[in-house]
Amino acid sequence: MTASTGAPDQATAPDARVVTSGEGLAARRALRAARLRGVVFVALGVLSFYFATRSLDVATTFSFWLDRPGGEFASVKPSVGVLWIITGLAAGLVGILHFLRGAAFRWRVWLVLVAAPWIFATLATLLAGKAANLTGLVASTLELSTPLMLGAMAGILSERSGIFNIALEGKMLVGALVAAIGSSVTRIITGNDIAAVLVGVLLAMLASGLLGLLLAWLGIRHRVDQIIAGAVINIGAVGITSFIFLRVLSRNTQFNQPATVSAIELPFLSDIPLLGPMLFSSRPYVYIGFLIVAVLTYMLFRTRWGLRLRASGEKPAAAGTVGINVIAIRYQALLLAGLITGLAGSYLSLATSGSFQIELTAGKGFIALAAMIFGAWHPVGALGAALVFGFTDASQTLLSVVGVQVPPQILSSIPYVITIVVVAGVVGRVRGPAAAGQPYEQG
Amino acid sequence: MKRLRELLRKALVPTLSVLTAFILGGIVIIVTDFEHLSQLGTDPIGAVLGAIGGVLSGYGAMLAGAFGDPERIQEALRTGAPRDVATAVRPITESLVSSTPLIFTGLGVAISFRAGMFNIGADGQLIIGALASTIVTILMSGAAPSEVILILAIAVGALAGAAWGFVPGFLKARTGAHEVITTIMLNYIAALVVFFALRSDTLRAPGSTSPVSRNLTPIADVPTLLPLPGLRLDMGFIVALLMAVVVSWLLFRTTVGFELRASGFNLTAARYAGMSAGGSMMLAMALSGGLAGLAGAFLVLGTVGQLSIDLSGGVGFNAIALALLAGLRPSGVVLAALLFGALTSGGKTMNIVSGVPFDLLFFIIAMVIMFVAAPGLIRTIWRVRVPDPAPEVASVTPVAPSDPV
Repeated sequence: MTASTGAPDQATAPDARVVTSGEGLAARRALRAARLRGVVFVALGVLSFYFATRSLDVATTFSFWLDRPGGEFASVKPSVGVLWIITGLAAGLVGILHFLRGAAFRWRVWLVLVAAPWIFATLATLLAGKAANLTGLVASTLELSTPLMLGAMAGILSERSGIFNIALEGKMLVGALVAAIGSSVTRIITGNDIAAVLVGVLLAMLASGLLGLLLAWLGIRHRVDQIIAGAVINIGAVGITSFIFLRVLSRNTQFNQPATVSAIELPFLSDIPLLGPMLFSSRPYVYIGFLIVAVLTYMLFRTRWGLRLRASGEKPAAAGTVGINVIAIRYQALLLAGLITGLAGSYLSLATSGSFQIELTAGKGFIALAAMIFGAWHPVGALGAALVFGFTDASQTLLSVVGVQVPPQILSSIPYVITIVVVAGVVGRVRGPAAAGQPYEQG
Repeated sequence: MKRLRELLRKALVPTLSVLTAFILGGIVIIVTDFEHLSQLGTDPIGAVLGAIGGVLSGYGAMLAGAFGDPERIQEALRTGAPRDVATAVRPITESLVSSTPLIFTGLGVAISFRAGMFNIGADGQLIIGALASTIVTILMSGAAPSEVILILAIAVGALAGAAWGFVPGFLKARTGAHEVITTIMLNYIAALVVFFALRSDTLRAPGSTSPVSRNLTPIADVPTLLPLPGLRLDMGFIVALLMAVVVSWLLFRTTVGFELRASGFNLTAARYAGMSAGGSMMLAMALSGGLAGLAGAFLVLGTVGQLSIDLSGGVGFNAIALALLAGLRPSGVVLAALLFGALTSGGKTMNIVSGVPFDLLFFIIAMVIMFVAAPGLIRTIWRVRVPDPAPEVASVTPVAPSDPV
């Protein structure tokens, strides 16, 4: 095949043909894809009924704490087979709807109907008669998804404004280190745990915010490719944090004993039976995370500032023409994103592990990035994706605590496999902000 | 003379970048030197001199570790004994040994980036290649001459890496799944697959509690280059250099390479010119994975001699850095890999001799990339006139938004 660039007049005729046949082709492809999905769902339904026949007499025990963990509890004992039958019916229904409605069928919404019973049925099958506490599962899902949720929000802010942010991982790592040191030092000086936590978190946010500005400055002022600038921050962050840990913290451990953040029971709300211990007895980070998602959704889609930010990320030239200061918007977005990333980083060292360790983030920044893309650059979508990642993580812990006989490597790989399947099959062709990654010259 | 001046002008930014990065690294060493800095109140001059001395001894150890110790080289020249010669050249050969997997993976990353695929899955592709080579070697043990096993194991390793790299390319081309997500996920999955495989008694070293494979050296071993005792430099380095030539030819002298670069540079234009952009994506990712797989194969069959979880040691991420530093040119990849290899080997010596943690190097590497990518910084710091970066360095981001094919 040759790649000669034909003269314009020669190129127009085939172009027109390509476009018209392309539309018919697209419609046919969409119909074929819908039918294919229908077949997959029906097959899933049949498979579920097969599982049901083998597990009708197996009962599983899901228990819930009513007032507080360790207190009174209620439990339901559904048959695993019945769970599979529900899954099978739901999958069959969605499969048939695919055939009836064709390409116009909005199946992503209906997916929840299949996914929910499917998850419980799978969980019950893996438990094989052992009892599991779902209150703990929901609570730890919330905890584990918090840093991912925060990271994804930071990613959305910067990419919606037009700047790639693969530096989340590095910024989180620096935030975690700064939080640990800041909190430890404040604790030594003042002896007050609350002050120590606040100073640690604020310093972490400040440090990550500065890194966010550095990323923006390299990209805007020096026109460094944004992926390269992000890689610089990621690699540099691993280097400097590990270096400081080995050279300073490992010998002076008093600098790595921060005040830690523990769970807070929200007044009144935590007294609600069943829901209280599940949703309202978490660390403050969880509540702040949800608050940020709500505020960001409002800011992005309901305020003038949000419209300008999205314009800068989609068509900066047009935004600039109507007088929007694209450069200023991008700096603001990156600073804000950095502050949120720092908060996420401080969660890792002040809440989860209680101290800083080498490469503490362990890829969480990248998974947050995945949650952002998974959620199609929308805060609520990304929140959902973060919760999915958190849930798979939490259920894996639950299964290994209960002592399920599945090799841990297979369990651990489930979230990653699910992510690939979902991104390839469900999310598919999501499109990011059009101008993300492109440098912008303000005229 | 004019060409020489041109060359000097081109070398100015990288040289000053490396120099500035090392100065910044030195500042970091001084600031974190609590032993000396705690004496600032009583003996300020001694404290500062002591801290600067720490930098010099650290960097001195790094140089000796990367290129060789002058005293040992003199000793070797005087006696001429093979043992002394081996000791004298060991640091430089170790630098080349460290650079070998970096050349392979760096070339792979460069190919995928050229095609507009942001492949951050080199680590996963490397370890899957290493796993495949290990399995072939152990299963064929005794069934064939060791040369046959060796060649077969290397080929299978490359193919396995290519297959692992092909998956994200295929998913991107067919379903539009973002390669950043899929390659990251496949990295984790690859590590877990290797961990799982090393549970089996066939692969695991007998009596070992940690997940490492049997020693492959008695079954198949990549021949070493120098007939001196204790030197690990082997044929892998030569193969890596050959691959650089092959990749350079493929990218810049063939139609396939042209289409690959075209779809990376402007997807829409490439498609309108009748090229199969999806095909280019899949091909680039498979080639990229195959090169990473080769790196893994040569590690387990030569340098390391057995498979372990942390075999790659972050080679994949360093490969991204050096491919960017090299402006995605194969010749640049080789040079950058030699630099990174020397830094790695020297950094280990620095860690052992002077106690300055190895991780400082990642900071220095990051700073080097930053200065090379932003020559304006060098201009401001050193007050010199420097040229703007080459277009390839300036951008690895595809011009067209990466909407799927």
